[in-house]
Amino acid sequence: MTYLLVGLAIICILGGLFFFATATIGLLRFPDFFTRLHATGKGDTLAVFLCLIGLALYEGFSLTALKIIFIAVFMFLAQPTATHAISRAGIRRGLKPWVKGEERR
Amino acid sequence: MNIFFVAVGMGLCALVFLVLYRAIFGPGVFNRIAAISAVGTKTLIILLIIGYVYNRVDMFIDISMVYALLNFIGCIAAAKYLEMER
Amino acid sequence: MIGKSDDIIIKTIARIFVPFLQLYALYVIMHGHYSPGGGFQGGVILGASMALLLITHGYDELKRRLPEGVLLLLGSLGVLIYAGIGLLCLILGGNYLDYSQLSVILGVDAAHARSLGILGVELGVGFTVMAIMYSIFFDISTGGILPEDQRREGRVEGER
Repeated sequence: MTYLLVGLAIICILGGLFFFATATIGLLRFPDFFTRLHATGKGDTLAVFLCLIGLALYEGFSLTALKIIFIAVFMFLAQPTATHAISRAGIRRGLKPWVKGEERR
Repeated sequence: MNIFFVAVGMGLCALVFLVLYRAIFGPGVFNRIAAISAVGTKTLIILLIIGYVYNRVDMFIDISMVYALLNFIGCIAAAKYLEMER
Repeated sequence: MIGKSDDIIIKTIARIFVPFLQLYALYVIMHGHYSPGGGFQGGVILGASMALLLITHGYDELKRRLPEGVLLLLGSLGVLIYAGIGLLCLILGGNYLDYSQLSVILGVDAAHARSLGILGVELGVGFTVMAIMYSIFFDISTGGILPEDQRREGRVEGER
């Protein structure tokens, strides 16, 4: 049973690392601000959630695991809100979204 | 298991350095804020992993929580500041 | 910067988060001698929650909940609590902030009195840090010009 939990935790943490890596590649390679924000906003939210769930599974049943799950819920609400606020500020300041065929910005 | 946590922490640190490229050279202030927010989320996980490596998770969990919270508030405040046209 | 945000997502999320942030700040203040944290850190989180409420819900609502007079009062009350506990220990015959002397008036043994004394001092530090952090943020974001000053001078800005 313990081995099962540890294996599940390792799978979750590695999945989180994978999504972190894809979000970083998106942030580096996508052509403009809104597409980069799309990559980090979605990818980082899922990656943080997976990593925290993995760490909570490894911790077992304790107060620390409860706090980790609390952080996970917090990040799941806060990260999309922060992304939304930044992208709205970009629209308000007059940044134009990239369309196909344009140059990278 | 300790080696696994150290490896994951090293990987996350490498990703933070990759994101810092966007934070330094990114054209415009909006790209930089997006990159700094991404660095904040990675740092949260790195803090927790440092806690697991040193076997003091109950200490590092509070710091990690405060980091998540101040990252969120800083993001909202920066967005609000940039939203004002002058 | 201190105007009301016109976005319902940010306002709703801030409204949901602020009570939990303040509860967590109180936890950090109270739990300061077992885990990282203490008066300063908890006070910063309290001040940050107030700043979040200010940038999402605007100056008028914050003025209703936390007037400037109350803010100044809290800031000085914290210093008074800190110095008062220290002086009380001095009066009772120990050094400044020697909490074990408080066992006479609290009616408990020395170790327990030390813990309670640290808690009182940290509460004072938390109050002061919260008030001063919030006022620093407020002063920087307004530049010292309040909305009612502008209204009195007859130039109402449509600032968001």
